[in-house]
Amino acid sequence: MAKLMLSHGGSILQQRFLDKERLSLGRDPRNQMVIDDPAVAMEHAVIIPVGNDHILEDLQSETGTFVNGERVSRHILQHGDVVEFGSFYLRYLNPRASAEADLDRTMLISGLRRRDDGASAESPPPQEEVRAPALHRARVRFPKGHVTVLAGGQVGAVIELDRVVATFGRADADIAVITRRLHGYFITQVHGRRRARVNGRPIGDEAQALTHGDVIEVAELKLEFHLDG
Amino acid sequence: MPRNFVEMAAVTDAGSVRQFNEDSIVTGPDIGLAVLADGMGGHRAGEVASGIATQVIFEALQAQLAELRSDAGARSPVQAIDKSINRANKAVFDAAQGQPSYRGMGTTLALALFYDNRAALGHIGDSRIYRLRNDVLQLLTRDDSLLRDQIEIGLVSAADAGGSHNRSLVTRALGTEASLSAHLREDEVVPGDIYVLCSDGLNDLVEDADIELIVRSLKTNLPLAAHHLVQAAKDNGGYDNVSVILVKVLKPFPAADDARWLLSRLIRWFR
Repeated sequence: MAKLMLSHGGSILQQRFLDKERLSLGRDPRNQMVIDDPAVAMEHAVIIPVGNDHILEDLQSETGTFVNGERVSRHILQHGDVVEFGSFYLRYLNPRASAEADLDRTMLISGLRRRDDGASAESPPPQEEVRAPALHRARVRFPKGHVTVLAGGQVGAVIELDRVVATFGRADADIAVITRRLHGYFITQVHGRRRARVNGRPIGDEAQALTHGDVIEVAELKLEFHLDG
Repeated sequence: MPRNFVEMAAVTDAGSVRQFNEDSIVTGPDIGLAVLADGMGGHRAGEVASGIATQVIFEALQAQLAELRSDAGARSPVQAIDKSINRANKAVFDAAQGQPSYRGMGTTLALALFYDNRAALGHIGDSRIYRLRNDVLQLLTRDDSLLRDQIEIGLVSAADAGGSHNRSLVTRALGTEASLSAHLREDEVVPGDIYVLCSDGLNDLVEDADIELIVRSLKTNLPLAAHHLVQAAKDNGGYDNVSVILVKVLKPFPAADDARWLLSRLIRWFR
């Protein structure tokens, strides 16, 4: 369960659990959480629970609502967020609401709006389908590397390896892929009879780790691998 | 048929964190069928639900395909998959009613049946079907998920949704109610198309742009592409089970070919 802690001048004024009810915040004493600061509007903000989320919404207050120092109009609260209202601080604590806690198993819940499509609806969805993007990456940090072209292409050109995969070679002949992983870069043959070579030795069937300074040959290309930093 | 008209590669993995894999996949490249399910329910009931669903659908469609082939056009493949999904729904629902520890279990579903130059697609929950055509990846399904609803009605922006904790909340599942209406559609297939069926363990952790890049870059080696997709999800956290089926269309597959093939087989038998 999520918890809110309101503090001012270093002392905690109020603590309360957030349940499935909407919570209003503002200077007006009728708010569920009253913040007695002249910089705070009578009705300043609300926190709306939706599923596992608590969404903080600023009610177009003049002085604004700040989360971790940034002004927001609407924000999905994250564990440890600090919300500023005037000189008051509100801390959101919800250990389950962190990226790792997405271990939550899949659960069935009723939708926000009933759609009447079903077996009879065979119309394709619009071109740009509304979709949830991938999870914001919490703590994943990938290495940085690049290759420099030594021969077979624009000599001296630098190709950043800043995506999950980068393929090299000729589409109709031999292709090798350099894969960016957590603990470094790896090279694997994608297709073609002529194996890519690392420091003159043909690579095997398994992905092979690359080390700084390795010379890679694939099709006509000759590349030098660099690990940055 | 003498040679498969589709190539398939499939990987399912428990992920980097979870102990059990509640996803189930079944592929039948010879009959052009791919089924993927992501089960839910406590005490490993999710595994039971997804297992029943994929198996029942596979067997039902195998039987129905024989009918379709012998009398092409008599029933559409979309009707065939709908029938198989309903059968699976009943099987999971009945199993859940019969055993207290299975109560409430259910599963998502992504299903593709390739027949007569078309793909009949069925979908429930937050498993997805994408198609790579001319190196562009397009999502063909709508998630039955709370998060998608939130984005659609404007409660959260798509950009902010990456910070939501609602991604595992689905609004529709197979096996949780006595009857079910699945999302069904038919897609004209072009040789070279690659269909991607996946559980949310993939698309929750790997951006669509990276899914596109991996499939596009490695399309000449489908097993390697499938392996890379799962690996990327695990490298990005792998909080969930992750499953992927890739289906590459190798050549046209008009139903008439089936009839001709059956006929040639018969002629050979009688010779």
